[in-house]
Amino acid sequence: MDDELLELQRQFEFAQQAKSSIRLSDRNVVELVQKLQELRIIDFDLLHTVSGKEYITPEQLKHEILTEIKKSGRVSLIDLADIIGVDLYHVEKQSHHIVSEDPDLMLIQGEIISQSYWDSVAEEINDRLQECSQIALAELAAQLHVGSELVASVLEPRLGTLVKGRLEGGQLYTPAYVARVSAMVRGASRGITVPINLSILWSSLQQLLQEMDGSTGVAVDSSFFQSLFNGLVKEGEILGSLRAGVHWTPTVFAVAQKESIDSFFSQNSFINYEVLQNLGIPQPVQFLKSRYPEGTALVSIFVHPSLIEMLDTATEDAIAHGSWIDALSVLPASFGSQDASKLLSLCPSVQLALKSNKAVIFGESYLFSDGLIKDVYDLLEKEMEILSVSESSGVGLSVDLTDTKVGHDSSKFADLDKTGNEMGSSKHGTDRGSKKKRGKSSGTVTASVAETGTNTQESSTSKSKKNQRKGKDTSSSQASDPKAAVKKESVKTKEDIDNMPSEEWIIQKITLLVPDFEEQGIDDPETIIRPLANYLRPKLVNFWKQRRKALFTENAVKMKNLLDNLQKKLDESFLNMQLYEKALDLFEDDQSTSVILHRHLLRTTAAAIADTLIHNLDMHNKIKNGVEVEPQTSDSVSLSPGERTAMAKSFPGSLSNMALATAEALEGKQVETFMTALRAIAEESGLILRKLDKKLERTLLHSYRKDLTSQVSAESDPVSLLPKVVSLLYIQLYHKALQAPGRAISVAITRLKDKLAESAYKILTDYQAATVTLLSLISAATGDEEDCTSDRILTKRELLESQMPALKGLVLTASQSLN
Amino acid sequence: MEGWDPSTKSTLTQIPLLTTKAGPRDGAAWTQRLKEEYKALIAYTQMNKSNDNDWFRISAANPEGTRWTGNCWYVHNLLKYEFDLQFDIPVTYPSTAPELELPQLDGKTQKMYRGGKICLTVHFKPLWAKNCPRFGIAHALCLGLAPWLAAEIPILVDSGMIKHKDDAASSAES
Repeated sequence: MDDELLELQRQFEFAQQAKSSIRLSDRNVVELVQKLQELRIIDFDLLHTVSGKEYITPEQLKHEILTEIKKSGRVSLIDLADIIGVDLYHVEKQSHHIVSEDPDLMLIQGEIISQSYWDSVAEEINDRLQECSQIALAELAAQLHVGSELVASVLEPRLGTLVKGRLEGGQLYTPAYVARVSAMVRGASRGITVPINLSILWSSLQQLLQEMDGSTGVAVDSSFFQSLFNGLVKEGEILGSLRAGVHWTPTVFAVAQKESIDSFFSQNSFINYEVLQNLGIPQPVQFLKSRYPEGTALVSIFVHPSLIEMLDTATEDAIAHGSWIDALSVLPASFGSQDASKLLSLCPSVQLALKSNKAVIFGESYLFSDGLIKDVYDLLEKEMEILSVSESSGVGLSVDLTDTKVGHDSSKFADLDKTGNEMGSSKHGTDRGSKKKRGKSSGTVTASVAETGTNTQESSTSKSKKNQRKGKDTSSSQASDPKAAVKKESVKTKEDIDNMPSEEWIIQKITLLVPDFEEQGIDDPETIIRPLANYLRPKLVNFWKQRRKALFTENAVKMKNLLDNLQKKLDESFLNMQLYEKALDLFEDDQSTSVILHRHLLRTTAAAIADTLIHNLDMHNKIKNGVEVEPQTSDSVSLSPGERTAMAKSFPGSLSNMALATAEALEGKQVETFMTALRAIAEESGLILRKLDKKLERTLLHSYRKDLTSQVSAESDPVSLLPKVVSLLYIQLYHKALQAPGRAISVAITRLKDKLAESAYKILTDYQAATVTLLSLISAATGDEEDCTSDRILTKRELLESQMPALKGLVLTASQSLN
Repeated sequence: MEGWDPSTKSTLTQIPLLTTKAGPRDGAAWTQRLKEEYKALIAYTQMNKSNDNDWFRISAANPEGTRWTGNCWYVHNLLKYEFDLQFDIPVTYPSTAPELELPQLDGKTQKMYRGGKICLTVHFKPLWAKNCPRFGIAHALCLGLAPWLAAEIPILVDSGMIKHKDDAASSAES
């Protein structure tokens, strides 16, 4: 037998004898453990591993966690759960226990970190910091996968020990770096001489750093600069004051500012707020008030009392001398009008003067003494009087102007007026719509009117002359300043008779009367004169009203007289007119004669009536409007048709229309139309036209006849005797008053044929024939052939004179016989 | 190797294979062979023990190692049924597999030859022949007896052919 075999036999035997290991199924084990727990043999929590195949006791878990922490100093709970193979819940629970027991550990964002870990991290950071001289905390935090706040909180206690550097605004800096930047800040802030917003400075410094460090340089936060800067200010290395944390005002600047203000104020004794604002003082008033308590703050300027004194003396002087002063002219140019007015109110003399009504302030800077204003007012009052006169003449003139215009159209004036009208119309072109320019133009226009007047109607000459004189008055008062007159004209296009003295008028007058306003060299004199005018105007208006009132009372009497007068005149002439009108009935069957007679009557008696009426109404109208009218000297007024229409047009309202109708009727051929028109106008103007009755007619006829008889008996001129005799005959025979023109005499005589005796009629016709021949001879007579014709005229005249007694006898005897 | 359950197969593969091809009449070569048999048996036994699957005890009954005796057991319904085991190494070994005998069960089941030799599955013989001379006694036990016991004992117990020794004793007493 082999030993080896024996040995193997033995081994096999042994192997078979060996106790076999007992194997339990998982289920059995679990049940066993439950049984043990039930029996309280295991009296602590048993934990399962994640696989579920293992039990683990809390102590073991804690132990394992601690070993894991010790390995690296920083473990994530999730990693722990993986490594140990225990559910995260238990790991977390156990970790909390561990961390709370050990002050060196901290649980942050699911990680357990020990202080030793931080120490090592701090050392690392320090190494890096020494290399780069600055590190951003955010960068570190990103590297370590923790919050930057945590990094900061961890680093703070280690600064200066483990980490040799400085933490500023999320950046770590080495002392050397800090020193460098602080030197930059010091240099920059010492270089500043004007106020600056520090953030601008910081940004420029940042740029500078960026350039120096190149692209690797980390942007330095401005708060870092700020803290360095604050440190420097505290240490007194840079001087100045900081406002609102960012506005830096260097001491140098503040000193310079004060000095410049001081020097300006002491030199000029005033200072503009603008100047201060330019110097960078945001609230100049408060600044100045605190600095110069004796000064006064105005709207835009701060002044020293000495300036007020100066103004005061100037104003005092002006008040004392009864003059005026513009405060702006005394004060420096930088003063505004508001400042001036405020300053004026501060002057003691002005205050005194205003209190005692010795001076008035106009506008904002003009001071007028009471004396001056009074002078001006007196002058203006005088001017007003002139104005009232000139106004009335102005109306008259306007009538004249329209007169010439009408005359131009009327055929009657056509040839005679041509030259005059041309002048007038040319003037008229320039003057149209501006009646005010009478000062210069009225002379020539009235002259032209006068020229036409002399050629046409005698009485118009006097009228024109009158106008001319008035025109001259006004021109003398106004022609001195034609330019102003023109200006005034443009403003016053429409002249109302009720017009008050306008502002412009007053202004213009003042400029005329007080020329030294303009001498002052003020650019726009209106600025001073206008307020003055405004001040004076109410007074002047008052004066004007009073004057008007006085004029009215005066005129009331005049008007009454005028109307009475008119009534009287009108009565008489109207009755006569009616009388003559009746006579026209005789010739109604003879058309041509009737027309001649109608026209004659209209031209003579009717025209006289109409003229008297219109003229008087015009005067009445003027008086009513307060225009002074010179009392009518002559009763007989005779107007041209143009004048009539012009006057008629000047009447108010319906009266004007009626007057126009009357004037037109005068130009017509029917006496009846005139009569109706006349009645209408008389009624409108409150006049009474008496009707002719039998009794009145007889007395009138009788008086007329007597009148004619005496005239005939006294008549020595053979030519003018004839119409009178004929008229007388008509009265004797027809009891009608006939007004016949020369041309109608022959017809009138033929009509007498039936009534007269043969011989008487013969005498009449002969006489008439002789008169006609005489008149034709006279009209044909010329200077050259005097020898021949004058002889004939003489013989004819003698013949007529010889027949005169016969004719007179014819009439006189007849009248006597009738009587 | 179909025909066996997976655990049997995995166990089989873990038993060391033999190399010497020798029978009992080959003298020294047989000794060598016997040594290898022992090594395989030791490994198999240790394996079983470590897996808490110890199920037999055998030992050589003669110095030549041609006859082996021992016992084997099977646990069914928490009762351990134990039987005698004996077999001879045939002369043609290792070409012929040893015939395992359970003399106590002779005549109690069909799956058995006369004299208590167990009937093996149809798969056993070809497999053994294919693996000659690498299979030894350990392999024969593992492949033959273990599955047979697992298959037959529960049937025999249920049919009442065999009784637990305690029961048998109590019944005998009664």
